[in-house]
Amino acid sequence: MPRGLSIYAEGNSALHRAHPFTKGTLTLVAIAIGFIAPSLAWVIAVAVILLGLLTLADVIRRFVPVALGILLPITLLLLIVQGFANPANRTVFFPLGPLSLYREGLAVALLAAARIFCLISATFLLSFTTRPADLAEAMMQRGLSPRFGYVVQSALQIIPQSLESAARIRDAQRARGLETEGSLLLRARAYLPLLLPLVLSSLVATQERAMALEVRGFGLSVHRYRRVVLPDTGVQRALRWFLVALVPLAIGARFAGWR
Amino acid sequence: MTAALTMRGVRYRYPDTTDYVLDGIDIVVQPGEWLGVVGATNAGKSTFCYAAMGLATEFFHGRLIGEIEVLGTEVRRQTVIERSTRVGMLFQNPFTQVSGARERVDDEVAFGPENHGLEPALVKARVAEALQQVGLSELRDRHPLDLSGGQLQRLALASLLAMHPELLLLDEPTSQLDPGGTKELFEALSRLHAAGVTIVMVEQKLEAVAELCDRVVALAQGRILADGTPARVFNDAAVQQQVGAPIYVRLAESVGLPSPWPTTFETAVRAFNA
Repeated sequence: MPRGLSIYAEGNSALHRAHPFTKGTLTLVAIAIGFIAPSLAWVIAVAVILLGLLTLADVIRRFVPVALGILLPITLLLLIVQGFANPANRTVFFPLGPLSLYREGLAVALLAAARIFCLISATFLLSFTTRPADLAEAMMQRGLSPRFGYVVQSALQIIPQSLESAARIRDAQRARGLETEGSLLLRARAYLPLLLPLVLSSLVATQERAMALEVRGFGLSVHRYRRVVLPDTGVQRALRWFLVALVPLAIGARFAGWR
Repeated sequence: MTAALTMRGVRYRYPDTTDYVLDGIDIVVQPGEWLGVVGATNAGKSTFCYAAMGLATEFFHGRLIGEIEVLGTEVRRQTVIERSTRVGMLFQNPFTQVSGARERVDDEVAFGPENHGLEPALVKARVAEALQQVGLSELRDRHPLDLSGGQLQRLALASLLAMHPELLLLDEPTSQLDPGGTKELFEALSRLHAAGVTIVMVEQKLEAVAELCDRVVALAQGRILADGTPARVFNDAAVQQQVGAPIYVRLAESVGLPSPWPTTFETAVRAFNA
């Protein structure tokens, strides 16, 4: 049975120990500044900081293959589309027979790729160093409804279970002669015999889970004690405010014409 | 002493149906009893548990006639969530009983007591005690979904035990377990019974019911066909015909032993040696 979608990597770095909100703020701010920053140099600076943090958290080896897998095809596509076909293309960078790669388009592609890199690395930094359960718990301790917190926590584990159940149904139907591979039309026709049992079994499982949760007192109106103590220091709170303050500064810098 | 479970003239049907799945049930389960509920498919066994837990009315919204008292409280005067502080229910499928919100076995067991608002120190003690009772202490730091089916069902049981139920309702708890998992679960239940917990167990494994339960109720078409000790119930001709009987009964009958036929391994050995 799959454990879940969580990609948390065990560790004891400062980032692992930091409060989930601090890491969440860092992620959002890094993404925001990556997109607000006016020039490639600034975006690269954000990317370098994020790479440093990934190294500090000792998750860089897990990050590199994932990042390459996502970023390489996107960057390649951006370079081709923008390099050849950006409307602002004027200066030939590299002639390729009847076509030419243009400097303006390549610059746009690199900036976009760097921004996407910031988005990916900031998101993975949070995911590698924060247990989803801790993030949901932190949100519940700040007033998020336990029901909503449960949805956040459970979705990561229940979705893979549902996918596995779908694979089981597909195998069972194939064993009974259903063709699930081949042309698009063939796969579309195979969809209904797969969908019906999946929906029905999901409904039954959801009903049983809902009953099991009630039987375990989920939703009882009592004061709930904190499940885990998530250390949140004055330094971390100050750091969060500092990070948040960087966003209007970046917006101001962009409007002020900084490059 | 207040009965653990009382049903008086209970009839129940699910919404949009006309047939009563429970059709005139009268039963009193005393504290500390281990009651086995047996019956053929569609006899009303699971509905019996749902009715006792309050799920039949609150969750399925069916029509209930008659009275059901659980630990002295009428079932309709309390919600299932409120009842969960005193009554636990174990379902058939161990996988759907995992909350899905916890990443460690001990955290999973803590889910119920935390919902009940218990202090962290008490929750910790209850979790350790419950895991000990079901023999899962060694696996406390494992991910719940790394456990086998039998271990997962014992985890579900531990999750209920941590809430200190006075009454346990078990709806075919071994139906999806292999022989090893079944044995583990029955051993854990035997320890609980010895500790005084009242158990109502719907079960298809008739040999186990005969071995473990103090009393057996056989259901057929929503009615009580027989009620008494395992030896008496499984020697009833109507029960044998409509529900079945432990293998020892059929074996003794087939070799021509005089009735009452043995229903457990030990009594069978004695009967065949005599």
